Amino acid sequence: MTLGSDTRTPPLGSPAAGQRQTITQTIRVRLREPARMRNLELGLLVPAAAIAIGAVLLVQLGALGTTDSGMLTLVSLPPIFALVIHIALRIVARDADPFLVPIAVVLNGLGIAEIYRIDIAQKTLGWDGAGVRQIVWTLIAMAIAFAVLLVVRSHRVLQRYSYIAMAAGIVLLLLPMLPGIGQVTSGARLSIGFGPFSFQPGELAKIALAIFFAGYLVSNREPLSLMGRRVLGLRLPRARNLGPILVVWAAAMVVLVFQRDLGTSLLYFGLFLVMIYVATGKASWIVLGLVLFVGGALLASRVLGYVEGRFHAWLDAFDPSIYNATGGSYQLLQGMFGMANGGLIGSGLGQGRPQTVPLASSDYIVPSLGEELGLVGLFAILGLYLLFVSRGFRVGYSGADDFGKLLAVGLSFVVALQVFIVVGGVTRVIPLTGLTTPFLAAGGSSLTANWIIVALLLRISDTVRPPARGVAR
Amino acid sequence: MSELTLIILRLAFLALLWVFVFAIVYALRSDLFGPHTRRAAETPPPAAPYPSAPLPPPAAAASAMPPAQATVTERLAAQRAVPNVPSPGLPRRDGGGHGRARRLVITGGPRAGLEIDLPDDQLTIGRSSDSDLVIRDDYTSTHHARLMVWNDEWVVQDLDSTNGTYVQGTRVTTPTPVPPGVPVRIGTTTFELRR
Repeated sequence: MTLGSDTRTPPLGSPAAGQRQTITQTIRVRLREPARMRNLELGLLVPAAAIAIGAVLLVQLGALGTTDSGMLTLVSLPPIFALVIHIALRIVARDADPFLVPIAVVLNGLGIAEIYRIDIAQKTLGWDGAGVRQIVWTLIAMAIAFAVLLVVRSHRVLQRYSYIAMAAGIVLLLLPMLPGIGQVTSGARLSIGFGPFSFQPGELAKIALAIFFAGYLVSNREPLSLMGRRVLGLRLPRARNLGPILVVWAAAMVVLVFQRDLGTSLLYFGLFLVMIYVATGKASWIVLGLVLFVGGALLASRVLGYVEGRFHAWLDAFDPSIYNATGGSYQLLQGMFGMANGGLIGSGLGQGRPQTVPLASSDYIVPSLGEELGLVGLFAILGLYLLFVSRGFRVGYSGADDFGKLLAVGLSFVVALQVFIVVGGVTRVIPLTGLTTPFLAAGGSSLTANWIIVALLLRISDTVRPPARGVAR
Repeated sequence: MSELTLIILRLAFLALLWVFVFAIVYALRSDLFGPHTRRAAETPPPAAPYPSAPLPPPAAAASAMPPAQATVTERLAAQRAVPNVPSPGLPRRDGGGHGRARRLVITGGPRAGLEIDLPDDQLTIGRSSDSDLVIRDDYTSTHHARLMVWNDEWVVQDLDSTNGTYVQGTRVTTPTPVPPGVPVRIGTTTFELRR
């Protein structure tokens, strides 16, 4: 790891790493060395908190013309909780990556501000508003992430539970299909409800499945990396090793057909493809998987009405008959008009009209932010996602054990793919599918899942570094 | 609150967002562009940087050796980039560059790039973990083959393996000499011997 370059660390796995220090020596080294990573994190948390609180302040100035100190106090709770996590990290994971928490705080804060702004426009303030609920969910999600950090002291423990994780993932995916608790929202069966609460278990399933794929591929990658016959200049995997990919493909198709959600199905299948590619280093898995998925999706678009509708709304969005149709391109185009209205630097927080778009605070949070912060602001947000994901990949790259490497790559890729599917959908790059934007969109399950991903990445990044530093002395 | 103040605050907010992004990128610079080179020159190289293969002496290495911080794979890549066959700088323990090979280099397969020193008498190859060179794939037998020295020359002997041992593309049934630089294939792994 080359971060903080004055601790020169020999590469992991080099012969020097063999010289282990005694525990006493390591502890002495730990005490002597300032927690450079944590100081950097503290330094970044200050502007992060300023952005999160400043965004809400600007929303109030722009939309109400005055300030509301009650809301400002509520909004400053998540950054304060982030400070608590920061202090805990100094004790339980002092070499964890310093960028993940500040980036998550900024994205989360921007999301809260924009949801609150749409609340103001729709006059649903206080505890009825999605904004306050989003703050409460943020605190719950951060508390769960905090608990994960304290309970999971080494990510290697998770490897033991990979088959339990598989079972948990499948159960979570199937829960919305159970009669009684399953709910149908805008055609898709994704959430479960207990009284007033609703939850999307699929968001947590992505973590469970990433753990399972990592554990499974670590122990089974060798037969999967053997290649068989060459067809059209591409070396195909051997027929007898096709089992796992066919099973995952079938599962993705089941989600597509029965839960009626293209985005979720693409998310899980993409996660598996990337993890098998990283585990085996064979690009033909990607080609094979994409062919399978595109074939399945094309077939589904012929058979299933809703997929076909999505394709039409995507390709012929400006056709008046599709624009006016139920489930047509009205929402998509309103989002695009909003972003066009924002232009380069945006209309300013609280000064646009993002509430025109249906579901402006959940599925369409990105166009809402795009309208009020403009292209400049939207690119900053995408830049933050890029940095977040690149940190995750870096953690995977420098990971000491294969399970940690695969898990870090899987978790960060799932964030990247989700951002791509959502932002690509609302900007008409790909057909629109209903997924949540990580950290930004209103919704508790998504926030919880993404903060757990932060906690796991922090944990993996901490286990990466200590041995390397011990040797550096 | 006047219009102008609001516009200034708006722009300041966007600027703050980008300052945050660039603060992270600045903190990451050593990850993106590699560590500061001056520091690399000040610190002495690790005592035993790469013990398993004789390193070229500094003169020959100056162009090929990566900086001290390079990872093992980078170093291997750099060594592969150096002309493989008799490098002029290599220490010659038996004089004149003749005599038998001293290293085994895996050139193809899952462990490509691995170099090991050949022992004095023999080297066993197979899937079992007591082999000197362990190759784990579906095509390798438990005790697949062995390399041994006959008349100061390495010879490969196939130990009745299921999928065979190939020297320069032909399956061998009897002990066959393996001159340096000749590819030997076992399963999906290809290696060659080097002096």
